[in-house]
Amino acid sequence: MSKTECSHCHLEFDDSVMIEDGGHYFCCKGCQGVFELLNESGLERFYEKAAHTKLSPPTLQYEESANFDSAAFYDRYVTVNDEGFQEVALIIEGIHCAACVWLNEKALHQMEGVIDAHINYTNNKARITWADHTVKLSAIIDMIRAVGYNAFPYDPSAQEINANRQRKDYYLRMAVATFASMNIMWVAVAQYAGYFTGITQDVKTILNVAEWVLATPVLFYSGWVFFKGAYYGIKNRVVTMDILVATGALLTYIYSIYITLNQSGEAYFDSVAMIITFVLFGKFLEVLSKKHAADTLDIMSKHIPSEVSVIEAGKVELVDVNKVKEGSVVLLKSGEKIALDGEVIEGEGSIDESSLTGESRPIYKRAGDTLVSGTTSIDAVLQYRTTKDFAHSTLSNLVTLLEKAMSKKPRIEQMANRLSEYFSTAILLLSLLTFLLWWLWPHDFETSFIVGISVIIIACPCALALATPVATLVGLGLGARRGILFKEAAQLETMAQADVLVLDKTGTITKGVPEVVHVTVFKPFDESLLSALVSSSNHPVAQGIVRYLKPKTLQRLKDVEQLHARGMRAGIDGKQLLGGNARLMQEHGIEVNADSRNLVFYFAINGEIYALFELNDVPKEDSLKAIAAMKRYDIEVVMLTGDHEGSARHIAHEVGIDQVHHSLTPEEKADYIEKRQSEGKRVIMAGDGVNDILALANADIGIAMGSGSDIAIEVSDVVLLSDTLTALSEAITISKTTFKLIKQNLGLSLLYNAITIPLAMAGYIIPLIAAISMSVSSLLVVGNSMRVRWSITK
Amino acid sequence: MDSWVIAMMLGASLLLGGVALIAFLWGIKSGQFDDKEKFLNAALYDDESELNDAAQQERKKKKLREKNYKPE
Repeated sequence: MSKTECSHCHLEFDDSVMIEDGGHYFCCKGCQGVFELLNESGLERFYEKAAHTKLSPPTLQYEESANFDSAAFYDRYVTVNDEGFQEVALIIEGIHCAACVWLNEKALHQMEGVIDAHINYTNNKARITWADHTVKLSAIIDMIRAVGYNAFPYDPSAQEINANRQRKDYYLRMAVATFASMNIMWVAVAQYAGYFTGITQDVKTILNVAEWVLATPVLFYSGWVFFKGAYYGIKNRVVTMDILVATGALLTYIYSIYITLNQSGEAYFDSVAMIITFVLFGKFLEVLSKKHAADTLDIMSKHIPSEVSVIEAGKVELVDVNKVKEGSVVLLKSGEKIALDGEVIEGEGSIDESSLTGESRPIYKRAGDTLVSGTTSIDAVLQYRTTKDFAHSTLSNLVTLLEKAMSKKPRIEQMANRLSEYFSTAILLLSLLTFLLWWLWPHDFETSFIVGISVIIIACPCALALATPVATLVGLGLGARRGILFKEAAQLETMAQADVLVLDKTGTITKGVPEVVHVTVFKPFDESLLSALVSSSNHPVAQGIVRYLKPKTLQRLKDVEQLHARGMRAGIDGKQLLGGNARLMQEHGIEVNADSRNLVFYFAINGEIYALFELNDVPKEDSLKAIAAMKRYDIEVVMLTGDHEGSARHIAHEVGIDQVHHSLTPEEKADYIEKRQSEGKRVIMAGDGVNDILALANADIGIAMGSGSDIAIEVSDVVLLSDTLTALSEAITISKTTFKLIKQNLGLSLLYNAITIPLAMAGYIIPLIAAISMSVSSLLVVGNSMRVRWSITK
Repeated sequence: MDSWVIAMMLGASLLLGGVALIAFLWGIKSGQFDDKEKFLNAALYDDESELNDAAQQERKKKKLREKNYKPE
């Protein structure tokens, strides 16, 4: 059979399945619909622009868009700008190419009432401005869906907006600094040439004035951040690098003006511009590394539940969780997260409480049972009466505790900062000392002043200022490519010095979902029947069996019935298929021996048992190896879990962990971390669930699994997108290598200073040597930092 | 006499460079470099219809703004 390309999404399918329409072929109704719509509204040029980019075919089912017009939604996401227009931030799903961006913007622009639609292609975030009296947000979202994409609202946090503004501010300052420094450099070339071959004083003065003009914006505009830093440093009585940079640059600038006006001697405007530019780049690298992690997290946390379906007077209405009162009746669908504490009044089903307790088995709940916020419904469809409002629910309580924990979090001062404090103080004192010594011995004020200043100029902190940011940035980049996101650069250093690694069990060491560990077949049977049966359910046990069987083709079953918390029933060719736990079998009059350490799943045909599957949460494939690797770094590995002793010990034994603490509440986990910290240890905590967040926040470094709960990701310092302990061990390797290189870099720059500063104090420094040694030391540091890349061999 | 030539050339080239710098700063400020992918593809989406589109958006905005400020 030959393949044909779909006219809309450009994916290729067999001829037989394509829908033909006026010479065009479509893989599905969705693509056909979008294609027609685009042609009708004059947007067919999209296909010209998209060329043959493969798109994802549009989905036809979406939740009701009218929800977007609810007051609760407007309250949370929609802002009104100065001109009285509404604005919302959306994440657009399904953007594959620049043409997709073009199409969305164009389609929205064609709508009456939409004032501006701006989509960022890099992160798929959109900002839409519209006039609410002319068009509603639901219509805008419907339009995005109609052209084959989907949109989620998101709440751009104040932090993100700040980070963006700060980044832009740095771009502007860096642009000015770079432009001016580059121009100063070629003027300086003329200066240096003149220095060796002879130059008339009037030409020299002209060059000096040109440099003066160029250096001024660098010092006072680009260098403003250093003056600000110096001011705060003086206010807090700490000698920071900013003070050294600011005084050094300012004194050099003033001195050079004096030289220029006096028309004798050498001006150092080029040094002023270079120092500021280099150190500004170093600072910017730190700002940049923070921004990146924030971006990724926004996209991951787009599904945080913010609204629940409340049943009032027989009507279901979406209400902002913050506005749900105690005693309201809330409808919970399967797969949804429970946002408020409550009591089940109707319905039944399994609840996944692993995020709170670490217990990996689903819990069966029915009328009268309590529900805890933060847990997830697996197959439960029920109504519950809230017993607390959102602010007092377990989840919010944890968050309150968490905020306290975050403020207590130990902040380990970075080595470079500490070092630069001593360094800066020393240089300022040395320069003063040099000046005094020269002045007291038979030299005039001018010469003494020049030599004193030359100490500050030569102690150019470029290499020192670049030592940490360049190495960390290379480390962060290497981590990011391997799915390890550090939220802040300083964390690499803290992590490298850790003594204790605390691991959560469920979802961190183990897979967090049950896998088949043992199979007993009583009688041979057709596997495809069982495959079809278990594929009909999304219960973790059924899914575990699906993963075990890896079905290729599925038979069509009749009357598939999901029996809450027991299993499922179906019919085929007059046979009755039953699959589920011991209770289901007993209910159908089948005798089973229900004693097992594991979760059990029986498969019966016409009342006779054919097979027994035992499932349990098993360690991830790489856990054993990764834990062994981390122990080699002299890190003490401890397992904390809310699960009971038996399974905790069993798993710990399998992956080679000796220290196990079991049956812990979230608070107890956090207490354990605090206890270790009070012993003077640096503690890394890795976890994924809501039950780990207090511990994650308390630890020196909190590491979350990428598939973990949003809140765990939020409070952590590092996120492992690949969810494996290998990534964790790689993160430790990267941090250790980076830290080692930072130390080397600092050593290099100090060594350089130890050689040049005595020379400067003796008055031997000429401008050319100063400039060359400055560049060489900076290059050495940057070059050395690149070696982080070699820390992980492929 | 020679030094005046140098001064003039320096001044002229710095002025030209300065103009380019200011244009670049304006570009950053108005968000033209916020999205690197879009920026790289800009040439593909920069013809007459985009101009018309932008003009139409401006007109629409003006009209809607008037509506916003209508006395109630």
